[in-house]
Amino acid sequence: MNNVHTDRLVEDYLMRLDAAASVLPTARRDELTSEIGDHLQEGLREIEPGDEAAVRNLLERLGSPEEIVNAAVDATPSGQILAPARAANGYAIASVLLGVLWILGIGSVFALIFGYRARREIKNSAGNQTGWGLATAGIVLGWIGIAMVFLVLLGAVTLIANSGGSGGTPVPIHTPQPNP
Amino acid sequence: MTRNALTQLRRGTLEYCVLALLRHGRQYGFELIRTLSESDGLLVSEGTIYPLLSRLRRDDLVTTSWQESEAGPPRRYYQLTSAGERALADFSDEWARFRDAVDELLTHGEGDEQRAH
Repeated sequence: MNNVHTDRLVEDYLMRLDAAASVLPTARRDELTSEIGDHLQEGLREIEPGDEAAVRNLLERLGSPEEIVNAAVDATPSGQILAPARAANGYAIASVLLGVLWILGIGSVFALIFGYRARREIKNSAGNQTGWGLATAGIVLGWIGIAMVFLVLLGAVTLIANSGGSGGTPVPIHTPQPNP
Repeated sequence: MTRNALTQLRRGTLEYCVLALLRHGRQYGFELIRTLSESDGLLVSEGTIYPLLSRLRRDDLVTTSWQESEAGPPRRYYQLTSAGERALADFSDEWARFRDAVDELLTHGEGDEQRAH
């Protein structure tokens, strides 16, 4: 019926609105998101399916989700405004844990993946998520862990080379000389 | 500076503009916003009207009712209450006085300046 790409634009907009509206009391949040949803539906009815420019115009005229939520916050008695649910990002926590655990470097690799992912998510959360410091700690631990893997490998290689040298068949050239 | 003053003015008067639009009968959100958008300089972002309408409803200046539409889902209509009508009438008087006072000062100030030169 509608073009997938323009559907995506509207969906993204509504998701951003939903996220931004998390500071509002539930009833107000539901009311606002359903009103904006109805408005978009009403507007989309006049737009040719897949007319991306028209959809973008419709969204732009509405204003940014944050702007709308700010207006809703202004219209709400201040006592009812919830402090944003500033939960720490799950990936940030996982990143630090895995960074500490190390697990022969496997933990470190995941600490890095989760750490960078956490920072990206926190940045996009517009202040709704915390854990930037945790994620950074996870990333640092991750890189240290990777460095440790290389050090251990290097140590192992030298050890094997040394032990191979002393215990193996090719006897060092200089050792027999003091004997005679 | 002018921009800020206009923002403040718009913020203060917008709700009465909404009430004024409902004076001639109920309207649904989309329709109301379309009319407001046609008035130059009144509306910056359309979405911010919904929180305003919600507040007007909580203040009992408007009531809402759902009505089936010929095409698509039912629409939420906004209608002026008697309290809303009173608020609008009060504001209309105050606004006329305010506008005259500002106009008077602005044009009077202009005269002074010309005299000073």
